[in-house]
Amino acid sequence: MKVYATYNIKGGVGKTTTAVNLAYLAAASGRRTLLWDLDPQAAATFLFRVKPRVKGGSRGLVSGKRPVDDAVKATDFDDLDLLPADFSYRNMDLELDDMKKRTARLDQLLSAVDQDYDVVFLDCPPSVSLVSENVLRAADVLLVPLIPATLSLRTYAQLTAFVADTPKPRPQLMAFFSMADRRKRLHCEVIDTVSRDDVRVADTVIPSLALIEQMTERRAPVPAFAPRSRAARYYEQLWAEVRDGS
Amino acid sequence: MLETHTFDVEAVYKVLASAFEVCAGKPRVVRRTVLDTFDRRLERSGQRLQLVAEAGADRLELVQDGETPVTALAGARTRWPAMADSLPDGALKDRVARACGIRALLIIDQCRRLVRRAELRNADGKIVARLDVDEPADGTAAPVIAVRPLRGYRKAADRARQLVSTVLEPAADEPTAPDATGASVVDPESPARLLLATELADFLQEVRVNLPGTIGDIDTEFLHDIRVAVRRTRSLLKLGRPALPPHLRETWEPRFKWLGDLTTPVRDLDVYQLGLPEMTGWLLAASAADLEPFQAYLAERRAVERRTLLRALRGARLRRLLDDWAGELSALADSARSADGAAWSAGALARANVTRAHRRVVRGGTAISDSSPPEALHLLRKRCKELRYALEMFAPVLEGAQVAKAIKDLKMLQDVLGRFQDSEVQRTTLRGFAHEMAADRAPAEALLAMGELMGHLHAEQRRARAEFATVFASYIRPRSSRRMAGLLGSNGEAAG
Repeated sequence: MKVYATYNIKGGVGKTTTAVNLAYLAAASGRRTLLWDLDPQAAATFLFRVKPRVKGGSRGLVSGKRPVDDAVKATDFDDLDLLPADFSYRNMDLELDDMKKRTARLDQLLSAVDQDYDVVFLDCPPSVSLVSENVLRAADVLLVPLIPATLSLRTYAQLTAFVADTPKPRPQLMAFFSMADRRKRLHCEVIDTVSRDDVRVADTVIPSLALIEQMTERRAPVPAFAPRSRAARYYEQLWAEVRDGS
Repeated sequence: MLETHTFDVEAVYKVLASAFEVCAGKPRVVRRTVLDTFDRRLERSGQRLQLVAEAGADRLELVQDGETPVTALAGARTRWPAMADSLPDGALKDRVARACGIRALLIIDQCRRLVRRAELRNADGKIVARLDVDEPADGTAAPVIAVRPLRGYRKAADRARQLVSTVLEPAADEPTAPDATGASVVDPESPARLLLATELADFLQEVRVNLPGTIGDIDTEFLHDIRVAVRRTRSLLKLGRPALPPHLRETWEPRFKWLGDLTTPVRDLDVYQLGLPEMTGWLLAASAADLEPFQAYLAERRAVERRTLLRALRGARLRRLLDDWAGELSALADSARSADGAAWSAGALARANVTRAHRRVVRGGTAISDSSPPEALHLLRKRCKELRYALEMFAPVLEGAQVAKAIKDLKMLQDVLGRFQDSEVQRTTLRGFAHEMAADRAPAEALLAMGELMGHLHAEQRRARAEFATVFASYIRPRSSRRMAGLLGSNGEAAG
């Protein structure tokens, strides 16, 4: 089972759209896929039209009283399941803090579904917290969407340092530019000049497109409602890079 | 859940619309290939495995009543029959492998269906269940309707099923399911020859149906089932001697002995090959890789023995044996009404055989002490087998529940004697294999590993020997004896 996490300290950078679209593409290629919406804002859960509710809430899941596979919901798409968000996830840090191996708990919980899925995506809330530390421990690959701006690169540097400071095993880091607007000079400069020596940055750049924004209206992944669109093609390219490069 | 009914699809959609938003798709032609083992292990475990070819894509689908189907992309085209190992890795493979064990998957049925699929959505527009209306592409049979639950939405699927059931009418020509118990009751006063002829004909049929799978080497169980049928035939010829014409003993007992012996070498090697993964777990000092030359030796020997077996299975001698035997059984059934043939009733023969076999087990077991040689336990094992066969074969004229209990009592004793004897036989065979491998300059590591296996078998035999006294004491406890007396009725008597 391969675990990918879409993560960034900053919010609004395209974590959820990436997680939803890549999870859809993984499932469409025949991989049994689970997406865990860890963000109490429940955007991924909303996109799949699932109610943002988990019986027993964050405490039930983290304590193990509510088995992970009991809380899983099928999405409308074959081979793609969702572990929905719940507003109580806002307290997940506190619940994790009460556990014995407090930074390895999510990893332990995921091991219970190891045989059920080939791929897991973790859609993470934008923060540096105990949840993040658990994500770093559980994930094989950290997918980091970056808006092509100077501040984003600075945040990415902070994130790289944060990952480097965490105990092993550490996830592989893979950044990619998201919400890029080629009409903006700064965006172009950042994309063209970013050093790929120290950090792994995907060749695929996800542009800022109206179709991607429409996901919230259509409540579905882009490749599901617009399979021949440019947006879908970009996500397919990104998934191919992620899949082959990790 | 699949149900065959007559119904109007529009009426089904209409009733579902009271609780769901129904989105009906266009009908599509789907080719379904149903896969199962020869002895229908998936079906018996309530599961159905299908290879579904639809819109240019092949997927495997495992369905269990009331559960979300488990699916997998079919991947590279598999040539059936094939073992579950050849399925794509994942939950579907794990479940199928668990149910099928050592049996191969075969094509059981193939059909083209016209499928009308509908999505049932809730108020958020989320699909909460799917509905398939599935009918033969040529329209020759009644359609089948299935509500497919989605993980996490069981209640919605239950509600959909409930609604669908309100508009279904049972199909007028719905076939009656065959009797699942398979147990038939025979009048104990009927001629014994009739019962014997019927059972022997069943065993003959068992041999015939398992021949193609044995010749094709689909899996090891085909040969095993032939051997069981032959063994039962031989036992029944022996048990039925008082009621059977004398020439059967002279003519047929040797002919079936030939057939049984013919299948022994390959079966013995199959037992080793199947047991090798477990045997590998016995190793303490040696590693699994050390046994690889042994594995290769077994495969080589099996290939040689199989060629001999194949020649015989395809030969005229076996064909003549089976054809002559069918004619003989037909004559036997016809003779059942003659004065000579009706001398023994089925009930009397059953009681005489079970009484005798039980007495021999009790006497044989009681005579065994701690100093008895292994041969005494081997003889007792044979006597237990005779009793087991007598109970099983005469079950139709004995009281069913009592027979089941008597077999259960006997089984523990058979298990301990089986472990004792199998360990002995396996050690002897292993020693023979080791000599042959040494002559072929097998690596020392392989022979040392085989030595470890012999050590394990020796310890196992000692454990079984130590358990024997307790298990036998339990077998002859008053409750078992009373049970046997009850089974044999007023005309029989249980030894004790």
